[in-house]
Amino acid sequence: MTAASTIENHPSAVAQWWVLTKRFIAPTLRNGELVVTIASSVVFTAGFYIPLHQVMGTATKTLCSSYAQYVMPLIALQAITFAAMSTAFRAATDSVQGINRRFRSMPMAPFAPVAARISAAVYRCTISVAVAVVCGYVIGFRFHHSAVYTAAFVLLVVAIGSILSFGADLIGTGSRNPEAMTPLLILPPLIFGLLSTGVQPAQQFPHWIQPIVRNQPVSQFVTALRALAGDAAPYGGSVTWSVLAPTLAWLCGLTAFLIPMSAIVLSRRTK
Amino acid sequence: MTLVHEQATGLGAKHGQYHENSLRALVSQTRVQTRRILLRWSRDLTAVIEALVLPVLFLLTLNIILGNVISQVTGHSALYGTVPLNALAATINGAVVGAIGLIGERSDGLLRRLWVVPVHRASGVLSRIVAETVRIMITTLVVLAAGMILGFRFHQGILASLTWFAVPLIFGLAFATLITMVALYTANNFLLETVTLVHVLAVVFSTGFLPVDQFPKWIQPVVAHQPMSYAIEAMRGLSMGGPVRWPMIATLLWAGGITAVCIAPMILGYRRASTS
Repeated sequence: MTAASTIENHPSAVAQWWVLTKRFIAPTLRNGELVVTIASSVVFTAGFYIPLHQVMGTATKTLCSSYAQYVMPLIALQAITFAAMSTAFRAATDSVQGINRRFRSMPMAPFAPVAARISAAVYRCTISVAVAVVCGYVIGFRFHHSAVYTAAFVLLVVAIGSILSFGADLIGTGSRNPEAMTPLLILPPLIFGLLSTGVQPAQQFPHWIQPIVRNQPVSQFVTALRALAGDAAPYGGSVTWSVLAPTLAWLCGLTAFLIPMSAIVLSRRTK
Repeated sequence: MTLVHEQATGLGAKHGQYHENSLRALVSQTRVQTRRILLRWSRDLTAVIEALVLPVLFLLTLNIILGNVISQVTGHSALYGTVPLNALAATINGAVVGAIGLIGERSDGLLRRLWVVPVHRASGVLSRIVAETVRIMITTLVVLAAGMILGFRFHQGILASLTWFAVPLIFGLAFATLITMVALYTANNFLLETVTLVHVLAVVFSTGFLPVDQFPKWIQPVVAHQPMSYAIEAMRGLSMGGPVRWPMIATLLWAGGITAVCIAPMILGYRRASTS
């Protein structure tokens, strides 16, 4: 009898996901998070382009029509990484405050809270990449292919952002330690970003580190995004499978790794 | 029951006890609370590793991508700018970690609990300052050790070297006051993300990242006069040689200014966090 009535009152998993997503998104308009998300794209554009375009401009002259064209994919990636990594902090806060435990005791889909946090991250990533593209146009970046490629550029950035935020969410939930999540927000993305072909070609790095620089995921993402953005006539390659394959392989590999990991982290019943 | 107990200790003053607002209470209780904060931090292995390893990795990164350019342009090693840059940036990161810990203790009710037991009122804030000092010294030493391995050396004698250590301390404590104040009045997410962005700007638009003449003309005044650049220039002068007096005065002015503006709201906020 009671069972029947409770079942009637259960919202569907989708409705649960939507309620929780709203829980993350609605306050962003009030508490200034939206402003911070917009500001982050501006900050990364200014922070990479203004100091580096003189120093690095000469090294990239033969490869790109302008340094803005060269560095823009990395700016977009840094902006979405920032949006995605802050998921770790939110997840750790949720975890330590016991919200996750409370959710687990309620009749709701086990993946709803994670899915909601990732959806909120996708929302932040979408804003970041939109603002980053606008900032890119201000410094001189242009899309040179058709609208389909532009859409693919944005989609790829958001896809990378959502997978990163999935990983960040698991780290945060697993660690239950908001304090330990704070330094992760800035230095690791900057280290990976600066040691990639996003700021300068691999040949400009010292010999011993070139293989790492050339093959690390950020460099592969940057190569794919650069191809999708295209470049003015003499520069820029075409979009081929060999350009996109490493990126897609990284993304599939990460997803294949994260899904079983999430099953382990989320089913753990600590405290 | 607690009240009776409290009275007993209060009355026990003649048996070698001392009043909760006495200087002796302040010293001993600050020591206890400092130890508590540092113990908590040192047992959080992830946080310790991050605080010590990430600045070193970032130092290496900067050295790899900009080291050659800077030594070609300026004629001396980039380390005299990047080591201070990382030491100073680590103090800001440390302050954020400390501030988020403080907010956690506010939510847990620990601050309120300390407020109702006979503990010297100033010992809470003071212990945080002392703990922050210790933390800044440790991270600075680690960054310095990494810099030494890469080729950083002190050329100005023992007194200048010791003063070199004082700069991150002055800078870090001023920024810790600022960040703690912001933490006490805003949401955690907002604090963390805002400080991170300001941190990025402070790092890349500083003279430790690139020499000032490598920036575009219009932004050079901002780069030259922001607090981090002054602190870096003072530390550069104290280690490699060069002007020290003006950068040092400017660093002290920035630190003094920031502290003067933030200290009162910070203490008020701490009081509010302990009583509400």
